[in-house]
Amino acid sequence: MADSVIRLEDVSRYYLMGEFVVKALDGVSVDITRGEFTAIMGPSGSGKSTMMNLIGCLDTPTSGYIDIDGENTAGLNEAELAYIRNRKVGFIFQQFNLLGKLSALDNVITPLLYAGVSVRERKSRAIHALERVGLADRMDHRPNELSGGQKQRVAIARALVNNPTILLADEPTGALDSRTGGQIMELFEELNSEGRTVVLVTHDRDLGMRCHRQIHLRDGKVEA
Amino acid sequence: MLIENIKLAFNAMRGSKMRTVLSLLGIVIGVASVVAILTIGDSASKSITDSIAVGGLDMVTIFPSSGQRSSGIFDEAFGDMLRSDVDGVGAVLPQNSSNARIRNGKESVSASVSGVLSTYGSTLNLEYAEGEFFSAIDNINRRQVVVLGSGIAADLFPGQEAVGQYVSLFRTQAKSYLVVGVLESKDATFSLSYDRTVFIPYNTYSQRFIRTTSVGSYVVKIAEGYETIEVSDRITEYLDNIVGTDGYSIFSPASLAEMAEQITSTFSSFLALIAAISLLVGGIGIMNIMLVSVAERTKEIGVRKALGASPNVIRGQFLVEALTLTLLGGVLGIGLGSLLSLVVTNMLDWSLHLSYASFILAMGFSMFVGIFFGWYPAMKASRLDPIEALNYE
Ligand SMILES: Nc1ncnc2c1ncn2[C@@H]1O[C@H](COP(=O)(O)OP(=O)(O)OP(=O)(O)O)[C@@H](O)[C@H]1O
Ligand SMILES: [Mg+2]
Repeated sequence: MADSVIRLEDVSRYYLMGEFVVKALDGVSVDITRGEFTAIMGPSGSGKSTMMNLIGCLDTPTSGYIDIDGENTAGLNEAELAYIRNRKVGFIFQQFNLLGKLSALDNVITPLLYAGVSVRERKSRAIHALERVGLADRMDHRPNELSGGQKQRVAIARALVNNPTILLADEPTGALDSRTGGQIMELFEELNSEGRTVVLVTHDRDLGMRCHRQIHLRDGKVEA
Repeated sequence: MLIENIKLAFNAMRGSKMRTVLSLLGIVIGVASVVAILTIGDSASKSITDSIAVGGLDMVTIFPSSGQRSSGIFDEAFGDMLRSDVDGVGAVLPQNSSNARIRNGKESVSASVSGVLSTYGSTLNLEYAEGEFFSAIDNINRRQVVVLGSGIAADLFPGQEAVGQYVSLFRTQAKSYLVVGVLESKDATFSLSYDRTVFIPYNTYSQRFIRTTSVGSYVVKIAEGYETIEVSDRITEYLDNIVGTDGYSIFSPASLAEMAEQITSTFSSFLALIAAISLLVGGIGIMNIMLVSVAERTKEIGVRKALGASPNVIRGQFLVEALTLTLLGGVLGIGLGSLLSLVVTNMLDWSLHLSYASFILAMGFSMFVGIFFGWYPAMKASRLDPIEALNYE
């Protein structure tokens, strides 16, 4: 078990819908090592987003254990989970989820605010992250002044800026055309080659095959 | 972080200006009333004390009713009687007044003529621009001498010395009076406009100017070491026994001051009630707009949580937003309240004394309202489930 960064041990996430119990995730055990590039695939409703949210500490499991970067997350309070989200994890969403009233730069700065980084360092780190995704020249633009691909690059810069161990991308190319999606995929490959652990949810078989490893989910379970 | 939160708050306000202004109205009105109450109250009591201080806080004036004049006790011996019967009475100065025209050459003005004793000037600490007050001899000999108020002197002798000159006083006929003194200009009091008054000896007044045996009023100086209000109460009790409440009236600046204070304090508590109500209403307005703001920005809250904002951080953001709102309301309220005070004091001819304590109080109130009414919405925002918030559309 060499250097496990993400470890799910018999993790379940149930939702109670009136009389029914929806087993969004049902006894999943997964181990992802440092530097791995993993694709999570599976039909709609199979539990991919649920799993990502659990890894990203946005959600807590109904049962089972999750270790992030060697730390057991069970029993952590909201503030402690927020700390992990801020330092260990960078989230990238299908719908970008940029803050519409802020410039690209201020969007990228936001996680640094929560990390308590000094004013001066914030700006230089944010600019550096925007340079990394090739958008330094757009840093004063608001999200609505950017294309879909540019928005996703800003979102990636924002996910990167706190230098997290793990990048979690839930269908990052889902809202983009295939050419732009391809470019975003290349960016992830680059980031992974620099040693960052990347977990990517995708419906696209070709993109999935470009990852080192594929985890297939069906009805909340990992397919053999 | 605080600065960022304040920026965010202004961002949010800019996005919905009209709504912000409307929701601030309660706070603005509340704060404005607090500031206006205290400023107007301060200005009122300062103006009243100022005008009383001019007249002297240690004086009361007794006015015999017309039926009591020239009969009963209100004669020239009244002062001695009062002094011996009532503890704390100092000098008692009989006084007669009427209006008359006064002339020098072609210049002629109307003035209030007062017949007073020679001790009047020293008792009231009058100050002289020229000459001095007339003497006891002038009074005994019923000499036709006059001390001019500064306004009268300026009208009749513009740019000249008045002392040594003669003026004509008109009553039934013109009589010539020698000017012996001119007063320094002195603020008018509730009962007397010094600048428009001329003083002649008491006996000259009642035996030559107007033939009368009655006394118009008595100025009573309170003896040193005595409380004006206590002595004035004793005089009231004493006179009530002799001539009854209808036989005279008494005018005491100290009792006037007390009355004025009572009126302003009643007025203040009434306005304080208005202020309390509007601050409550204002607070509810703030709570309302903050709840709307939290609901509208559920998605934003989700994103911020995903980026690592702890519940405390989210609560802080919305508390700062509520505080920024209410403090802005406080500043606007202070402006409005000061303006209102300016208008009111101008109308009442008082000088404006801005109450800085009220500014601090108002800002304190605004902060309290911001925290008190912003707490629940901020708490609500901080407790949102990250995923539910993120998926909120
Ligand atoms: N808050 C919730 N309440 C109830 N059921 C939920 C909730 N969130 C997810 N589910 C259910 O859990 C299951 C897994 O959902 P999940 O979002 O993880 O699927 P997914 O694999 O990401 O699907 P997609 O490819 O459409 O994004 C679904 O059946 C979904 O309806
Ligand atoms: Mg999904």
